[in-house]
Amino acid sequence: MFALEVNSICKSFKEHKAVDNISFAVEKGKIFGILGPNGAGKTTTIRMIAGVFFPDEGEISVLGERSVEKIQHRIGYLPEERGLYKKMKVIDQLVYFAELKGTPNTLAKQKARLWLNKLDAKDWENKKVQELSKGMQQKIQFLSTLLHEPDLLILDEPFSGFDPINVEIFKNVLLDLKAEGKTILLSTHIMEQAEQLCDDVCLINKGKVILKGSIADIKSTRSADTVICEFYSNGAELPSLTNVKILNRTQNRLEFRFNPSEFNIRDFIKELADKVEIKKFEITTPSLREIFIDEVTKGEK
Amino acid sequence: MNNKSKFLIIAKRDYLNIVKSKGFIIGTFILPIFWLIIIFLPGLLASYFFEKTEMRIAVVDRTDKGIGKDIVQSEPNIFFLVENSQNELNAKILDEKLDAYFIIDNDNLKANSITVFTKGGGGVAYITTIEKVVGKAFRKHILQEKGLDATLIKHIETDLKVETKKVTKEGTKKDYTTFYSFFGYFAGLLLFMLIFLYGGFVMRGVVEEKANRIIEVLLSSAKPFDIMLGKVIGLGSVGLTQILIWIVLLSVISIFSTQIVSLFLAPQPTPRNISPELTAQSTFPANIEIPPIPFDFVIFFIIYFLLGYFLIASIYAAIGAAVDQEQDAQTLMTPINIIFLIPIFLITLIVANPDGLASTLLSLFPLFTPILMIARMSSTTVPFWQLALSVILLLLTILLCVKISAKVYRVGVLIYGKRPTFKEIFRWLRQA
Repeated sequence: MFALEVNSICKSFKEHKAVDNISFAVEKGKIFGILGPNGAGKTTTIRMIAGVFFPDEGEISVLGERSVEKIQHRIGYLPEERGLYKKMKVIDQLVYFAELKGTPNTLAKQKARLWLNKLDAKDWENKKVQELSKGMQQKIQFLSTLLHEPDLLILDEPFSGFDPINVEIFKNVLLDLKAEGKTILLSTHIMEQAEQLCDDVCLINKGKVILKGSIADIKSTRSADTVICEFYSNGAELPSLTNVKILNRTQNRLEFRFNPSEFNIRDFIKELADKVEIKKFEITTPSLREIFIDEVTKGEK
Repeated sequence: MNNKSKFLIIAKRDYLNIVKSKGFIIGTFILPIFWLIIIFLPGLLASYFFEKTEMRIAVVDRTDKGIGKDIVQSEPNIFFLVENSQNELNAKILDEKLDAYFIIDNDNLKANSITVFTKGGGGVAYITTIEKVVGKAFRKHILQEKGLDATLIKHIETDLKVETKKVTKEGTKKDYTTFYSFFGYFAGLLLFMLIFLYGGFVMRGVVEEKANRIIEVLLSSAKPFDIMLGKVIGLGSVGLTQILIWIVLLSVISIFSTQIVSLFLAPQPTPRNISPELTAQSTFPANIEIPPIPFDFVIFFIIYFLLGYFLIASIYAAIGAAVDQEQDAQTLMTPINIIFLIPIFLITLIVANPDGLASTLLSLFPLFTPILMIARMSSTTVPFWQLALSVILLLLTILLCVKISAKVYRVGVLIYGKRPTFKEIFRWLRQA
């Protein structure tokens, strides 16, 4: 059962083709990530799904409906560029957006108070938005997208602008919502976040899908070519590394990818064990980020 | 959820947002005071500045008929008699000891003209004063020479007083034509200001939502047309609220008007040195009496406010959607403002002859209707069919405007970057 189906959608702005024949489907109750670099077409895709504008070609079916207008109250949308009425009180603002989504006034007020309490933001209730810090405003905006208990949440770069503590808080909020059976579609260019949160992903670049599927499936097709090792070096020199791609190198940690035909991993381990005291050694599949970079460069060749 | 009520939620927010603000409360009670100042100040200032001069003017009387004395008597603060020679007076002017002087002899009297000597400049006020005072003294002298007595001369010098009466089924009534023409002018002006004030609110509201990117959330919650309609209705209701408050205030004031007016006017005797005709000519009617404002006028004032507002607000909403910031809106607004400014210049003509063919046709032109019809209504009885026709024509125009504006709004509200030209906006229309 799909909460969202996107079928060969295209969207152009003047000469520029922002979205070029993108298709994917989001299973109900899953967290789905649209990943890609800046300018890949993530926001354009998301805006079309949220009903902000319509695709030039192709079809989108949200919660089984072709016309987004009919199910507007069942979706919650967090745009990439946040915006609230600066001079409106926090509580009024939350109630207003919930009312627009069909929640009755008193119920909306109750829920707004409940959520503000939950996020330790009770004191903000009667403050105007302009009196709040950027991060606080972000929190309010996040709340406004889920107060009306939507079945589908559409979040464009949901964690940008949050400090690590708030990122954790809202990650947990999303996981709770998922546990309740809600579907979440989010976009991000931070692959690590997607890796931790998403069940399925769709990688897009230059308006085209370059990879899609569950994170587990995508990883299982890759060979284990990534080495992560931690050690106590005590200033000793490491074995020479030629023909590898170094991803991260600090005094006590080394991460690199190798090509088995060009690099002898057995020799490397022996040499390393001679020189330093190894704390951890792992050969694993590449991270989502690496897979993405592989796919992009492959496409460009 | 019923889509129909979404624009009501939007309207409610915009309504409360303004009505709860300090600006609204201040505006509602300060604006009328501001208006009274606008209405009466120019009249008072004009009578002060144009007919009063601070110059001291010397009069040399060579007629031995006492004309100089008459002149000095009527404006002793300005004129005074001297017997110096012309050379001495010229020297005084050069030394800046004297502002101006003139000489009257029998030739002047015959030719009914005088020459005034000054250091140059000095405005027009002193000329007006000399014309009035010296002219009167000359006329008085000539009439006296013909043997007319003083009371007769005074009678001739008084302007004719015209009183108008209105014939109704209940008999003749006092008709306040002058008052109503005056009133019509300001009612039209007030309507114009209100329409543009609230139209401006709509434009600013749309720009705010676009600039703050609130519009995206709104678009994911409601149809663009509902968002636009909600804003127009919400802010229009604010205007309506304000007008209703004023009507209530005005009725309270008019009930107590006689008491209030007598409170202000009774203890002020007419200053003696102001000639009676100056007082009579000032814009402020000497006998203040606020005639009743007919109920149907009030109703149509509200109807024309709402219709005129709807027309402007829908156009302004489209303009607000087309630009990124308020300053950019100015270029797009100017041509529209100019069209709607035309009736302001026509009001005086309409009020002078409200039943003429030109007045009728101009007031039926939808873009002019609200302001001109309200001006006509106050100065005459407009046939009902004309009122009905004007409302129908306006409604059709609004329908067309809203349709076009909604399209521009829909496309414009999501386009950021360069300020669009009219050409581009027309392209959006074809696109939408």
